[in-house]
Amino acid sequence: MAEYIGYVVGGGLKENLNVRLTVPSNQVQEGAFAVIESGEWQFYGLVTDLLLGATDPRFADEQSEARLPMQLANLLHGQTLYTNLEVLPALMLERGPELGSDDYQIWQEEIEAGKRPRPRPLPVKTIPSHHARVRMANQGDIAEIFGKEEKEGNFVLGYTREQSHPVCLDLDKFVQRSSGVFGATGSGKSFLTRLVLAGMIHYNRASVLVFDMHNEYGFDDTASDTGEKVIGLRTKFPSRVRVVGLGAGAQIRGQTPDFNLEIAMQDIQPEDIELLSRELDLKETTPTTLDALITDYGRDEWFREFRKLKIGETVLTDEGKKVPAPGSVAFWANSMGVNILAAEGLHNKLRRVFNLPYVVEKPAADSISEIIKALEAGQHIVLSFGKHEADLDYLLVSNLLTRRIRQTWEKRTNDYRTSGKGEPRPLVIVLEEAHKLLNREMAAQTTFSIIAREMRKYYVTLLIVDQRPSQIYDEVMSQLGTRISGWLGDEDDIRAVLSGLAGRSALRGMLARLQPKEEVLLLGWGVPMPLPIASRRYDDQFWQELLGKPPGKRGEAEILEELGF
Amino acid sequence: MTIIEVGRLLRAGTTGFVVGCRVSQIESPSFGALVRVPLNAGYQIYGLVHDIHIDDDGLVRQLVTTEGIDQAIIADNRVNRNVPIEMSVLSLGFQQDGKIHYLLPPRPALSLDAIYLCSDQEVRDFTAAGRFGYFRHILRSADLPVGELLAAHINQVQAVQAAAGNHNWALEATQELIILLRDDYVTLMNVISTLADAVPETWEGVR
Repeated sequence: MAEYIGYVVGGGLKENLNVRLTVPSNQVQEGAFAVIESGEWQFYGLVTDLLLGATDPRFADEQSEARLPMQLANLLHGQTLYTNLEVLPALMLERGPELGSDDYQIWQEEIEAGKRPRPRPLPVKTIPSHHARVRMANQGDIAEIFGKEEKEGNFVLGYTREQSHPVCLDLDKFVQRSSGVFGATGSGKSFLTRLVLAGMIHYNRASVLVFDMHNEYGFDDTASDTGEKVIGLRTKFPSRVRVVGLGAGAQIRGQTPDFNLEIAMQDIQPEDIELLSRELDLKETTPTTLDALITDYGRDEWFREFRKLKIGETVLTDEGKKVPAPGSVAFWANSMGVNILAAEGLHNKLRRVFNLPYVVEKPAADSISEIIKALEAGQHIVLSFGKHEADLDYLLVSNLLTRRIRQTWEKRTNDYRTSGKGEPRPLVIVLEEAHKLLNREMAAQTTFSIIAREMRKYYVTLLIVDQRPSQIYDEVMSQLGTRISGWLGDEDDIRAVLSGLAGRSALRGMLARLQPKEEVLLLGWGVPMPLPIASRRYDDQFWQELLGKPPGKRGEAEILEELGF
Repeated sequence: MTIIEVGRLLRAGTTGFVVGCRVSQIESPSFGALVRVPLNAGYQIYGLVHDIHIDDDGLVRQLVTTEGIDQAIIADNRVNRNVPIEMSVLSLGFQQDGKIHYLLPPRPALSLDAIYLCSDQEVRDFTAAGRFGYFRHILRSADLPVGELLAAHINQVQAVQAAAGNHNWALEATQELIILLRDDYVTLMNVISTLADAVPETWEGVR
């Protein structure tokens, strides 16, 4: 028998439904998943606010309990003072005529015979009637909306806050569009990302490439706040996950990666340099100079050749006049008709890139192709930046690699569309500190914004992990399918996470009141309706539930018991 | 079961009637008491005593200014008074063919019809016949001391109901009153304060 918590007293689709609470207000929390039963339909909604009300404000103003006998005061308050819930209706589901009636039987038969569409949750288009009864969602309701735990591809991300019913994320849907994990620093973003990654790698329907700027995801790590050991993905999926270290001989968390990534000079393209404009403080003359370099040396050689040029070298002419020496930047600039100061300025500023130890003339192996092959073969890559943690490293490497990946996947998709063979494996690129690559100035230039906007068709999507969603370009944010957000304090960040979603104002307060490290809000296209949940803990129990109990050594007691002693 | 007659009808309307009684009869009905007027077979009107009124006459006016009145004269004036004691009764409902209705009676009682105090059983039957629908007749009467009248009525009925094991009658009745009056702060607080003054009689034994 369902326990009802109240009944509908008013409201609408625009301004939410008002529900009169008939149980003590402390039994219901903001963000609770409420079910409204109204005739043949069932409505699902989210409690967005609790309001104290009185039939007349004077009943609330006066402390009548002080001058009335207790029973009378209780009676008076029970009828004149009340709590209203504001419920944001999200979905509705046809449940048919009354259970057990003849009409129900007919209705059921019609569905079985295919005369009627099978009921499924629909976006809410109407409202329940007055006095429709309201109850908290039970496990069956949650499973109806968010999917059953047992179904393959459904990953339990957390539990409802009041009754701890498991809430699933549909991983197939999750990887179909770009998504985001947000939360202020210390809100448990990294753990949440680990959870999602573990779920995706275990389900293994899409390859994952993680740009691991802070070396957190591959090997075992130590939690920054508790000091406890955090299991890395490589440890739990040794055959599926490959850790790639940036630069020859890189060590990640004291361990040797599976292979190292070195970048050949010929791989660096003018676009890679242009997107470093802000980082390197490049002038507006840069494109012209780069263009001249390409014209002169070609796309493969320009970087190597420009690197070799010297600045300030001069020779004396026969007339005793100092002129730029051959092999100097100025000499080259003169020969190409480029402003000397502009060329020298660019050369000076590119020195940071010239000196990067992992940018080499001839890498020991073509590690970029190796990464792409591994991803195509269904493996997952964690690219750890090791000691190269500067923004420059991150921007250059992630963009360069992604550009190559994009080319490969585009080609494969086009081939597949033409021949119908060899469907590309979906790929999810995990981008930490995404605002560095997807801010307003950079978004137009980086490959990532193209992926966020268009690459869904080419089987590549992004998983953005960021603490400042407001810094990410709106056009990218609005394309994000699933958004998982931990606590956010900044008003602009909250607005950014909610951009493009219905019921924004109602969800705003909820984001600001999430329990850091424990609760997250699920939002967006990839989830049937917004819902705050208590996120799963990333611990040994999680791994046991995900992978099953390890076949490790059994205790003496266990063996004796099995033997019958 | 003793049947107590409280008087006979002086004048009547649909919403209420006035009963005239002798001084010897004044001991039995009280303010807030439930009375009934049996008419023809199976039809009787129920009402609530809301005013008891003793009018003067010429003789009384002379006597009150006289010094040292003899006790015999006082007694004679009371017993053999020219003007009866008047009790105003509010119609609350009627009974027809054994069924109690909380509606105004279809026709009033006639002059000199006898009025009786309801027995405990009749009080229980009338007050438990529906969901306090007769309260609306009381609440509608703006010129009556509604709070006092309800407190007196609830007090009396609770005693009778509790004796029959229904200890929560007053609680339910009060709840109904709060629902009916929750949009009328002034009247509700007036009624509630009066009920509070009825403590402990009303609420004793309420569970």
